[in-house]
Amino acid sequence: MMDVEGFMRHMLCDRQRWDRVLSSPLTYTLLGGVLRLTRGNWPLDAMYQMGVFAFNETGRAYVGKAPVVWSSAFFPVELAWGLGLCPFSPEVAAAYIATLGFGEETMSMGEQAGYSRDICSFHRCIAGAASAGNLPRPAALLASTHLCDGAPLLFQNLAALYGAPLLALDIPYNSSPEAVRYVAGQLEQLWLSLADVTGQRPDRDKLAEAVRCSERFRVQMQRVNELRCRVPSPVSGNDMLGFVYLFFVGQGSREAAEIAAGLAKEIERRVAGLGRSGQTGTQTEKYRLLWMHLKPYYNNELMKFVEQDGGVLAMEEFSHVYWTPLDPEQPFLSLARKTMSHFAFKPVTERIRVMAELARKYRVDGIVHFSHHGCRTASGGALMIKEALRDEGWPVLVLEGDCIDGRNEACGGMLTRMQAFLEILQERKLGCAL
Amino acid sequence: MRLMITAGIDVGSLSTDAVLMRDGETLSQIIINTGAMARAAAERAFELALSAAGLQASDVDAVIATGYGRMSVPFADSQVTEISCHGRGSAWLSPKVRTVIDIGGQDSKAIRIDGKGNVVDFLMNDKCAAGTGRFLEVMAQRLELELAELGREDQQAARAAQISSMCTVFAESEVVSLIAQGVPRPEIVRGLHRSIAERTAGLANRLGLAPEVMMTGGVAKNPGVVRALSEKLGAKIILPPEPQIVGALGAALIAQQKHARQSV
Repeated sequence: MMDVEGFMRHMLCDRQRWDRVLSSPLTYTLLGGVLRLTRGNWPLDAMYQMGVFAFNETGRAYVGKAPVVWSSAFFPVELAWGLGLCPFSPEVAAAYIATLGFGEETMSMGEQAGYSRDICSFHRCIAGAASAGNLPRPAALLASTHLCDGAPLLFQNLAALYGAPLLALDIPYNSSPEAVRYVAGQLEQLWLSLADVTGQRPDRDKLAEAVRCSERFRVQMQRVNELRCRVPSPVSGNDMLGFVYLFFVGQGSREAAEIAAGLAKEIERRVAGLGRSGQTGTQTEKYRLLWMHLKPYYNNELMKFVEQDGGVLAMEEFSHVYWTPLDPEQPFLSLARKTMSHFAFKPVTERIRVMAELARKYRVDGIVHFSHHGCRTASGGALMIKEALRDEGWPVLVLEGDCIDGRNEACGGMLTRMQAFLEILQERKLGCAL
Repeated sequence: MRLMITAGIDVGSLSTDAVLMRDGETLSQIIINTGAMARAAAERAFELALSAAGLQASDVDAVIATGYGRMSVPFADSQVTEISCHGRGSAWLSPKVRTVIDIGGQDSKAIRIDGKGNVVDFLMNDKCAAGTGRFLEVMAQRLELELAELGREDQQAARAAQISSMCTVFAESEVVSLIAQGVPRPEIVRGLHRSIAERTAGLANRLGLAPEVMMTGGVAKNPGVVRALSEKLGAKIILPPEPQIVGALGAALIAQQKHARQSV
């Protein structure tokens, strides 16, 4: 029997063979056919559509159909779509690498390249994959200075590794009109520089179209989120966390807007009882949770355990649409306002306020803050968040873990914490013994 | 009407404990080493508890398993975390308890409970062996003492040696250095107890200490740790008659409540 895992491991370390396979259009024709066969097996058709989109974009990046630009998680990627480029999110790639079971080897390569085990595992994984030459070569790298301190530093190293320019977006820690104009001015300059380094013609109509698509995405995701207020929850939040790909990479693309619209329609049908098998919601829902930050992407039982015990992610921090409408006629100002308005790039009281609002809106029984080890921005305020939300009446679990690196985790301890938290919710909700 | 009989089995990393109860009365309690086979330890502890109470397995109405090996107890009706079980057991032993500090073989926990023994909040440290029973085991071995002798040794100390590292491996190196420097053994032991107390108090204070405080788990049998922790917390610590069986006791109590509810 063929050792698929061994083959993949060998591939990871064999750069030339990896390049040949990933840059061949045949690979995508064959795998695309396999992907199409799986359509009926996805919990949501929108997830399948997103899988196709991600797959096509990966193919476009590796085959080299358009210049590839790497963008950090919170960078306004509409700029890249507006130039017809191929945006690539290395953070999302790291999550896929971990999901496929190659996180440890890839992180080890990053550590051997000099990245400390204390830094974010997303970044170590990216550094490892980049040093092994496993990622599509960027024509430029885009990073913002807000929300993730590590990304611009990592991207600076990677820019040197690939000999590609780093275009950094400096976001000040206030949203005054002067600050918004400062960021908008940078975005315009950055857009022109990006066009220059990738050999594209800066076309303002095309940029306006990207912003229009991004606005459609915003509206549709808001519609999705409104539908999700229903009890029991019409979708699994664990599935919804997968749509983070669209938030990081897709905003500004026609596809992301269409997938979001399809998702909204699909959930509407579910709510009306017209979905597959007449399914109207998550029938086993016992506890509604608000999930903060992300989840483990490596092979870990946590999310399965939560769902088996009747826990439903009624809403996730990363699914929240926090920004105001975008104006295609004022793309730079709109994108500046959007980028700067993230609730986590403010005093921690703002993140607490937004989470409390979501907890009320989605009528959650408890809140889980998944504290990813390397993320100082998210985890730094975890105890303050816990105390403040607990004072407002919600049980809060600060669950320390890692999204990519499972080497420091005792899975049993993590499950015990989660089970004990669900036991607290059971006592509170049902008012009876466990 | 026959009174309900329930069992709680706590499969911990070092010991497996079983408690049999009949309508709030403890019929028997057993503590054995877990060894390498959690399932076999659970079966053995249950058998011994049944034998001590003069009962058969068929006499027991409900069994709840707890502890890290709770999933390895095939005869249990359900599994509940040791966090909930220690909370319930502590409240049953002393209803005024609001904070439970459980230091077991491989982790330590601070648990806040309400008047009914329901868990309100908790913190758990299982990232490293420092501050756990395993830490003391390693150090006792290095000092050529039995685990049970540590408390007595502490009482003979005039002062505490400084143990600065919280890592078991590095602390062991420090102990070796202190022995080489001729520091009296009781002072080293007291230093070790203080280092555990320091770490545990940090956990409890982070949770928010509410009186009264009860300490459970095997380490609560060490009076040196209890005294050091009490000093560090500035609070009196209540000790159960047998700290090691509180988890199993809580499991038996939860089984009783759960079974009673299902029977209604």
